Amino acid sequence: MGVRRPKFTRLNPLQWPLALRVPVLAALMMVTVSAVVTDRVLTRLIDTQNRHLTELSDAYLDGISSAVIPHVLREDIWEVYDALDRAAQRYEGLDIAWTTVTDPVGRVIASSQPRAFPLQTELPDPVRSRLNGASDSATYEDHGVFHVKRELVHQHRVVGAIYAEMRIGTLIEERREVLATLIASNTTLTLLFAIIGYITVRRMMRPIRVLSESMRSGAAGSVTPVPVELIGRPESEFGQLFRRYNSLVQAVAERERLLKSLAEEERLAALGRLASGMAHEINNPIGGMLNAVDSLKRHGDRAAVRETSIRLIEKGLLGIRDIVRSSLATYRHRQDERPLTATDLDDLALLLQPEIKRKNLQLEWRNAMDREIFVPVGGVRDAALNLLLNACAATEPNRTVSFEAAATQDGIELEVRDQGPGMPRAILDYINAPLSQPAPLAPRSGLGLWMVKRFAYEVGGQLEATTRACGGTSVRLKIPERKKPFAKTQEFSHVA
Amino acid sequence: MPPFCALTRRQLLTAAPAAAVASIAGPVQAATRGIKFGLTPVFLSNDLELLDQLRTFLARRTGLEVVLVQRRTYEEITSLLISGQLTAAWICGYPFVSYREELALVAVPVWRGQPLYRSYLIVDADRHASSLDDLKGDVHAFSDPNSNSGYLVTRAALAKRQWRPEEFFRHSFFTYGHRNVVRAVASGLAQSGSVDGYVWEVISEIEPELTGRTRVLERSELLGFPPVACPRRSQDTPETLALKRALLDMNSDPLGTEVLKELRLDGFSDAKPSVFDGIAAKLALVRSLG
Repeated sequence: MGVRRPKFTRLNPLQWPLALRVPVLAALMMVTVSAVVTDRVLTRLIDTQNRHLTELSDAYLDGISSAVIPHVLREDIWEVYDALDRAAQRYEGLDIAWTTVTDPVGRVIASSQPRAFPLQTELPDPVRSRLNGASDSATYEDHGVFHVKRELVHQHRVVGAIYAEMRIGTLIEERREVLATLIASNTTLTLLFAIIGYITVRRMMRPIRVLSESMRSGAAGSVTPVPVELIGRPESEFGQLFRRYNSLVQAVAERERLLKSLAEEERLAALGRLASGMAHEINNPIGGMLNAVDSLKRHGDRAAVRETSIRLIEKGLLGIRDIVRSSLATYRHRQDERPLTATDLDDLALLLQPEIKRKNLQLEWRNAMDREIFVPVGGVRDAALNLLLNACAATEPNRTVSFEAAATQDGIELEVRDQGPGMPRAILDYINAPLSQPAPLAPRSGLGLWMVKRFAYEVGGQLEATTRACGGTSVRLKIPERKKPFAKTQEFSHVA
Repeated sequence: MPPFCALTRRQLLTAAPAAAVASIAGPVQAATRGIKFGLTPVFLSNDLELLDQLRTFLARRTGLEVVLVQRRTYEEITSLLISGQLTAAWICGYPFVSYREELALVAVPVWRGQPLYRSYLIVDADRHASSLDDLKGDVHAFSDPNSNSGYLVTRAALAKRQWRPEEFFRHSFFTYGHRNVVRAVASGLAQSGSVDGYVWEVISEIEPELTGRTRVLERSELLGFPPVACPRRSQDTPETLALKRALLDMNSDPLGTEVLKELRLDGFSDAKPSVFDGIAAKLALVRSLG
């Protein structure tokens, strides 16, 4: 049964492979770091630019103030203009768009751009509204220009004010260039580190991937060692890990082989017990037939004795034939190419009789199969016989072993119940666990069950075991029917 | 080296303190056997080399020590001259006629063959105006309140129209320099200006990009060129006579010729005071208006 995967696996980062998650995480961290660095650099740059601009503009205003105050007091328009015009040439560090000197009520005395600021007019908005309310020194930055204001104070009286606009387009352009450079370099570095991280982590994770693949195939049933060429340097961490893993795989394979060997031995032992029972079953009618033959020798001339003896001999032979036929059906041909019939299961009751009698048990047999079912006949019979023999072994004398079989909608369902002491917890857990669970290896701990479980797994069936409330164990086996029927073959010839 | 009015701003800035040192800060000290020659900034800018050439020429030709004295306004130089603190001064025709009783002519510069010049009324090069009448409500730049071409001529023209400058113009101011008038109009600080025609023409040769931003709206009639005058009471002193000879013979001296070339002048003449009658008439007109 496959593992149920969550939906939208690719959208869930927690489901991404480690080789992808680590570079993505590294890239995200780089993006975060670069964003923070960019922000800090730009903030510092803007602070530095503003500080320099303020210092330069302060120096400019200081110079202008001292130059124009005497002329402002005398309302000497020309000298104020001349001072502004000369100063504009001296402060090369500032890109001064205009400088305007006003009287205390805000009318223009002179401006370095007289056409824009005619004499005796009010300073236009938005400069006036932004800076008129400000006192001694004020600045305002907007849309690539920097406005400053300085009041002209003489003998503690405000005699006018200087307004100036400085173009800071070059500063803003410098900020843009720094930002573009930072983004370009950070993006390049982030991508570079992400790629390097991806490649590095992928290389680092390669041994884990190899191990993971090997273990996944092991979970599917066949545990395989890591190929030698993939182990790499033996002294490395992964080299040692691979070696230990391969040792583990070898141990598991050995265990598997041992299990098979033990199962085969148990099967032979069970066969021996069956053969012994069969010999006993055959021996009884043979004894009767020998008595009948003896009666025929001595009283064969009497018709009544002759008929009775012949009937006894025939009955004995028929009994022997049934026993032999059941044995043949069980052990002769493993891969049957025909559907399972009710008779195939009923034969098992006959085969089980010696064991039932030997242990003085009662057998409750309910076979409700009402149709032929396309399942592996030999495997089902083997599995059922295994379960029945286990039930007989577990049940004390004078107790009952029950067998039920029924055709279901999609296959066959068998149930074997015993009245034994109950199945040990370890075996019960083993039956109900996935196939990868190791089988218990205690003596007579149910190698037959291991084989039944493996058969059920191979044909897509299901094996369940429960402890019954009234004592004993119930083992249920469900085998699904194959969609394609087998080719019909003649199973038995009427031979002894 | 360019003549007056052709200084760069850098030269102007460096020359200003030097000129201040060269000039006499307080009352001019009387010197024995020397010439104190006053110069107005209206007429002559602070071209130190030119000033030095002029001083050297005068000293060599007169054999006397020559000190050049500069002040910001005509009024200051005129006051120094009338009070006898200067041997002579290159002033304007307007103060000459104003103080005709106190002053006497030493020599009159000759420009383009005659001791005459004109006053120009200038406006912005792109301005649509055809006469002084179109300039009503302007911000107007005058040169100096004691300048003929930079004030009196326009003042008289307005007087003819029964206007005073403060009524006709929205606002007017003095730049105390003809070149500054050109700068004021060219920059848009003033919408019109009154300027010495001789100075405007010389600037147009040296700084055509500056005068190119202005246009001569009106030219006055020919008037007496700004003269070199002396106090009447000292017109016959040896220093004054020596100065007069030096100026009148200036175009016969190599250094004098060099100075005249820089000044774009032909020489100096012994013109009669009647040359300034036109200016006197304008002054009378203005005074009659009250």
